[in-house]
Amino acid sequence: MANGPIRPSTSDGTAEQSRSHATTAAAGTRRRVGAFATAAPFTAVVAAVEVAIATAALGVPLSTAPVAVGLVAFSVYAADHVADAEGDVGSTPARAQFALRYGDQLMVAAALSYGLAVALAVGAGPAALALVLVPGAVWVGYATDWLPTVGGLVAPLGDRVPRLGGVSVPRLKDVFLLNSAAVALAWAVAVVAAPLAFARVPVEPAHAPTVALLFAYVAARSFVDVEVPNVRDVAADAAQGVSTLPVVYGVAETRRILFAVDGVAAGLLVALVATDAASGSVVAALAAGLGVSVAVTALADRLDGSTLGVAPDCSYLVAGAVLLALGP
Amino acid sequence: MAALSPLSVALLVAVSVGLAAAILAWRERPEPGATWLAVLLVGQVWWATFLVFELEAATLPAKALWYDVQWVGVVAVPVGWLFFALAYTGYDRYVTPFTVAAVSIVPAATVAVAAAGDPGNLLATERVVRETAVGTFLEVVPGPLYYIIAGYTYLLGAVGSVPLLQLIRDDARPFRGQSAALLVGTAAPWAGSVAYITGAIPIAGLDPTPLVFVVSGVAYLLALSRFRLLTLAPAPRRRARQLVFEQLHDPVFVVGTEGLLVDLNESAAEAFGIDRREAIGKPASSTVPRYDAVRDLADGDDKPRAIPIVGRDGRRPYEATVRDVVDDHDRTSASVITFHDVGAYLGQQQRLSVLNRVFRHDVRTETNLIQGYAEQLCAESSDERAVSVIEESAGRILELSERTRTAGELFDPTQEYASSPLPDVVDEAVADAREIDSGARVEVGRVPEVTVSVVLRVVLENLCSNAIRHNDRASPWVEIDATVADAWVDVTVADDGPGIDPAEYDVLDRGAETPLRHGSGIGLWIVKWGVDHLGGRISFEEREPRGTLVTVSVPVERSGVPGTDR
Repeated sequence: MANGPIRPSTSDGTAEQSRSHATTAAAGTRRRVGAFATAAPFTAVVAAVEVAIATAALGVPLSTAPVAVGLVAFSVYAADHVADAEGDVGSTPARAQFALRYGDQLMVAAALSYGLAVALAVGAGPAALALVLVPGAVWVGYATDWLPTVGGLVAPLGDRVPRLGGVSVPRLKDVFLLNSAAVALAWAVAVVAAPLAFARVPVEPAHAPTVALLFAYVAARSFVDVEVPNVRDVAADAAQGVSTLPVVYGVAETRRILFAVDGVAAGLLVALVATDAASGSVVAALAAGLGVSVAVTALADRLDGSTLGVAPDCSYLVAGAVLLALGP
Repeated sequence: MAALSPLSVALLVAVSVGLAAAILAWRERPEPGATWLAVLLVGQVWWATFLVFELEAATLPAKALWYDVQWVGVVAVPVGWLFFALAYTGYDRYVTPFTVAAVSIVPAATVAVAAAGDPGNLLATERVVRETAVGTFLEVVPGPLYYIIAGYTYLLGAVGSVPLLQLIRDDARPFRGQSAALLVGTAAPWAGSVAYITGAIPIAGLDPTPLVFVVSGVAYLLALSRFRLLTLAPAPRRRARQLVFEQLHDPVFVVGTEGLLVDLNESAAEAFGIDRREAIGKPASSTVPRYDAVRDLADGDDKPRAIPIVGRDGRRPYEATVRDVVDDHDRTSASVITFHDVGAYLGQQQRLSVLNRVFRHDVRTETNLIQGYAEQLCAESSDERAVSVIEESAGRILELSERTRTAGELFDPTQEYASSPLPDVVDEAVADAREIDSGARVEVGRVPEVTVSVVLRVVLENLCSNAIRHNDRASPWVEIDATVADAWVDVTVADDGPGIDPAEYDVLDRGAETPLRHGSGIGLWIVKWGVDHLGGRISFEEREPRGTLVTVSVPVERSGVPGTDR
């Protein structure tokens, strides 16, 4: 009786559907806060852990680099989530609603976070300051359109280092493979250079193999981390005409390619051990992280969307825990 | 990581707070002042950053290098402050590439001197490393350029504070909060700078200015987030108020207490054909139209009444309002005279009143007539007089209806009337008049070749038609003549009829009918409304030995140039 009369369900004559319902506001807020926490703060923690592992791997003194990189990651991601909140309503509704509701507060938090990161870098010297100012300079370039060419070049950072100021430059970002490769390289530069710059350690010839191997390892692992969530988005990306590994080669082939990249990362670990460029506990930690990565790649098409969004990054948390347990 | 000196730690707080505020300010672009506030804050951050490098550097040359680099931030702060204050408070007309370049000459020269290694010890005559409990910094003995740039900084700071201080007295609470936070943010570094120059700091040689940037940063952050600085900037208010004055449809004059014209808006200049630059400073009696009548209005408490004023669009009725401009000490500093064109309003009032009378009186009379003779026809179907009376009466109703439609068209706000040469307008009116009575003698005198609105045709048609219809002679005579003087054309319509009852045009003069004092028909009203529409005048005279002379004066259309007579 689709069009049948609505029968009052109570003696006061009101029907069930016309009565007010108590909404679960607290639950909704918790969900949005939870969704946000798994975004910018989570990425910040992962970035900090990555830099801490790199610090141990490079054998340089512990500095404020992990904190500074974590703060930069938080500010970049938080600002991006605010800027793209309306566009993200479809893909990540809870996070987008949080960003829409608390946009101004998030921007103040992002600005303070970046200001604190720069202050830490200033305390660490000119090299650290230059490194930390790069995202800020990119943001100025994006926000003012002074540097459209540079804007195009840094566009691939749109995935892992998101579009600051809400300006989306779809050129390189849409170029097959190049986008993920550029993001991986940018991430590797930040993770490997930050510990050196913040500890004011110059790269000496003796350290060069360690730096190069670690750089290659982080780049390879970051590439896998960027491509794994694309398995989840294969249908949406194909519909939008975005070329990713799963879209072009299919899920099974993508898994094989990512296994191969993880294989390269494993080879780099072997090289680290062979050249005695890193301590055993560091290699063990990196190997543990690599193991998690392989497992996530293997399960890529079976994990649900939200899990797949954070699972690759969890490999660094596992690696960090192992390193903490074994001692550097 | 080497331990930082206490001074450096304090400066890092200033860096983080200042940079956060700079990012938030930059994000607000293109809001008024956003870019310049970001420049100011980045200048502060720059200064503090390189002071940290100076403090942490180990050698004198290294400290000297970072000291020189600081000058970029030092000179950016006052420039950013000045242009921020101007743009934010709506004085953006002073923020031009030229003024920015001019104001930046001294700062740029200072940076150039610092970059060149301070030749001639212009900035510092002596530099020594001073070790203190709070940090190891470079103590400088200021050179002449140092004092110049310091004085220049104070000057720019003071100039920028003036418009912001005005806001503190503003009625709007958010603007008061904003400007108070901004002034605190600016006063703190000034206080530090003054303390340094006067030697009031316990640690000799330490310039505490960058340290108090912590206070500035927090104040600016508060202003940005709490008082919605930039998202709720007062800048548009000045422009909006100016815009209202300039774009107001009503002509407005501002007359000073000495009776001299202080200002007038575009509408006043346009409506009354006044050259603004020429008029300002002249006596109001020679510039403000009907100034005597307006001043009387201000003195008395009469009801507002329309004052007819001849402007560019001819003669229009205006209601004038006079308001005093009173300053904070309750002193009258000027009067604002606003003219409101009530022509359309008066016309609509008259139209309603006349149409009311037409329905209530004229149509009713004719209908009674038709009804009476129709009853007579029922009783005696062969009564030809009754038929004739009914026909005539119905014809009059029809004519009344046609004229009512013509009158309606005169009040259509969407209607735009074309212009036409006066001889053509007269010819068309004459042709219509001749159709009414083929025996009528309609003569046309001298008609100059000027351009007039085609509304004049409606006026002349009605005048001619009245002159012929109400003429009691077998062969009515009408003559149309015209002369041009001072961009006005006087068109006269003379006839040899019995004359118009003075009561008819008295009603037109008064502008309103009453149940006891009203005109007949609607023709003369159409003539009046047409003339009003054209911004003209109409006058009635009796002719000797009999007849009437009606003179219609209307402005020549601006494109029309008096040419040859025909």
